Amino acid sequence: MELSRPQLSRRTLMRSGALGVGLAALAGAGCAPRADPDTLSWSMWSSTAAETEVWDDFNAYVEESLGREAIAHLTPSSGYATKMDLQLVSGTQSMVHGVNGWLVPTYAGRGALRPLNDLIEDDPEFDHDDFFEPIRRISSFDDRTYGIGFDVAPMVLYYNKTLFEAEGIATPHPEIAMSWEEFRELAAAFVKPNQYGFCCGPSIDDGISWLYSAGGNVMNTEQTESTLHAPEARHAIDFMVGLFTQDPVTPPIDNLVSTSSLANFLDGNVAMMQNGPWQVLNVRKADFEWDIAPFPAGPAGSLPRLSGSCFGIPTATKDVPMAWELMKVLTSKQALDIYARAGRNNPARQSASTAFAPPPANLGLVQKILAGEVEASGHQYDVTTNWNEVRNLLAQEFPQVFLGQRSVDEFLDSVRPRLDVLMAQNTDNIRQLRMSEGR
Amino acid sequence: MSAATAPAPAPAPARARGSKEKVWLVAWLFLLPSFLGFAIFTVGPVIAAAVISLLDWNLFSPPTFVWFENFGRLTGDPTFWASLRNTAIFTFTSVPLSILVSLLLALLLNRGVRWITGFRSLLLLPYATITVAVSFVWMWLYIPTDGLVNRVLGLVGIDGPAWLVSDVWAMPALVFMSVWKSFGFAMVILLAGMQGIPETLYEAARVDGASAWQRFRSITLPMLSPAMFFVVVTSIIGSFQVFDQALIMTNGGPGTSTTTLVMYIYRTGFENYNQGYAAAQSLVLFAFIALITAAQFLTQRRLVHYDQ
Repeated sequence: MELSRPQLSRRTLMRSGALGVGLAALAGAGCAPRADPDTLSWSMWSSTAAETEVWDDFNAYVEESLGREAIAHLTPSSGYATKMDLQLVSGTQSMVHGVNGWLVPTYAGRGALRPLNDLIEDDPEFDHDDFFEPIRRISSFDDRTYGIGFDVAPMVLYYNKTLFEAEGIATPHPEIAMSWEEFRELAAAFVKPNQYGFCCGPSIDDGISWLYSAGGNVMNTEQTESTLHAPEARHAIDFMVGLFTQDPVTPPIDNLVSTSSLANFLDGNVAMMQNGPWQVLNVRKADFEWDIAPFPAGPAGSLPRLSGSCFGIPTATKDVPMAWELMKVLTSKQALDIYARAGRNNPARQSASTAFAPPPANLGLVQKILAGEVEASGHQYDVTTNWNEVRNLLAQEFPQVFLGQRSVDEFLDSVRPRLDVLMAQNTDNIRQLRMSEGR
Repeated sequence: MSAATAPAPAPAPARARGSKEKVWLVAWLFLLPSFLGFAIFTVGPVIAAAVISLLDWNLFSPPTFVWFENFGRLTGDPTFWASLRNTAIFTFTSVPLSILVSLLLALLLNRGVRWITGFRSLLLLPYATITVAVSFVWMWLYIPTDGLVNRVLGLVGIDGPAWLVSDVWAMPALVFMSVWKSFGFAMVILLAGMQGIPETLYEAARVDGASAWQRFRSITLPMLSPAMFFVVVTSIIGSFQVFDQALIMTNGGPGTSTTTLVMYIYRTGFENYNQGYAAAQSLVLFAFIALITAAQFLTQRRLVHYDQ
């Protein structure tokens, strides 16, 4: 007996195809993210499980405070900016976004963030003065406030107490910054095979603290031309490069991507590290005793980079009153207490500062610096609307000087004209923003 | 034969004509998804890139037409020229090296090696592994003090360089890693090509007293030329788009010594928010790849043998 094979006619095939396409479209529509108008949403970077836990606690607090469902869109920090760009451009942004302080002019200068001055002025409950003054400046651009801070801190000097004791060397003063000369001598005293005096990244983000402490900067106050070639900046570059190439007191640079001063310091064979208090949580894992001290004082004093992050409302956010309520909860004392208690960083509110508690023993130094209670101070990270480009240019050209492949003169000759072009571009960006806002 | 007496062509039966049209319709329907995909994901973006290259657009603000200003900017941009030079150096060193290694290994495997399938799979593994993972492993291998590469060099009395931070050795480091990563693909294609060469040709050559070198030069290479052509074209196109390993292992440094064109396009477009300038760069890259591929297709007439 011959078995008849089931045959598929063209008509059946086409019908099946059409059905399949229809089903796929339905499935696609079902999978597409749908914005529930009643759901609050906010975005933040989060690269570790510990960070995610903190933000989850934040979100629970938001839901409890506002009595509504809230979604925290968490993205690893390495891809956060790219994702935020795409969300802002495609109109799929959250109501509120976390923004790194140095990116505020970048987004504000392109009209991607909404100025908050009217919201702050119209809300008598909101106490903007409770936020440390540096974070209020960091969250502003062109005389307008674009963000409400959640953390702020100066760079400090971490030191390995165990190593200091082993070498019989006195630890740095907890509140008085040592001079650069004292610092260099101190760092050199630790150098022996497989032991180093100091570590920091060969990058502009770390180099900038030396520039400020010498009275220099990348560009002038008006942000119209580069000033890296000025004597103050030149002195700072020479000093910092000397730590790598002349003395040298730093561990060798193995590569330019994953070289991490934190990893070097945690190895236990480096006496001092330049870093921010946001690394306290990681350094607590060290198997040696450690503490922090003020950043070394250069000719202009101890003026390390002051950094912070904030929450901002994208221009495209429709429900601005609700976004403002959400932002107030995210930056409230209670929320920042959660953040600080977890040891993430120094909170932006003065009233929440006590929650950022020891260890290390001298952690209070951070708040003393921010409150101006000690001589050591800090310098707001001066950035432009195109700081990404400035940073990329310096990240490209700067490390070769630390590696001894180029002289400081060659470096400055190479970057100065290009920095001047970028400063002109920055001036143009600000002019265009003012024109678009009818100012 | 007069027109009056010529038999009129028999009219096609309506049923047969309708059936033919249906076949065409079905054929087009089957082709439609592919055409749609090509139009949406290839033709559309290329046209969009061409339009965007004429704009000054930072993604957030409304774009403005600057016509060919972005292309004019390219001429005075030292990083663009450095990245173009680096991409060319990478391509014209890694592709020949990769093909040479693949050809040698394919010749070895073609000699009736036992467990050929196992060896073939093993040698194909680097190609099948994602570049990001391989790049991280090679970063460890290239560590100047404790890395495996310099330890091995040390065994033969060579003091290895600081590979990834040396403006001289960073590019060769990327090339070596990329050759290791990519040779498997070319090896499999060339091996398949070798196994398709009729044994009778070699037997005839042996009878005529041809040496192994003569057999390789006069039979294997010409008969392998179509496979070789395919491998060269795809490898060159792939190498011009090199990105992952340079980003992860050197971030384009030191200086611009390993900045590739695709990396520079990415930075210009998505870090510096200059979409128009990035689109202009990508069109230049497109033109280079098209030119080189066209040149290869022109030369294949003389060098590639499709006859059996």
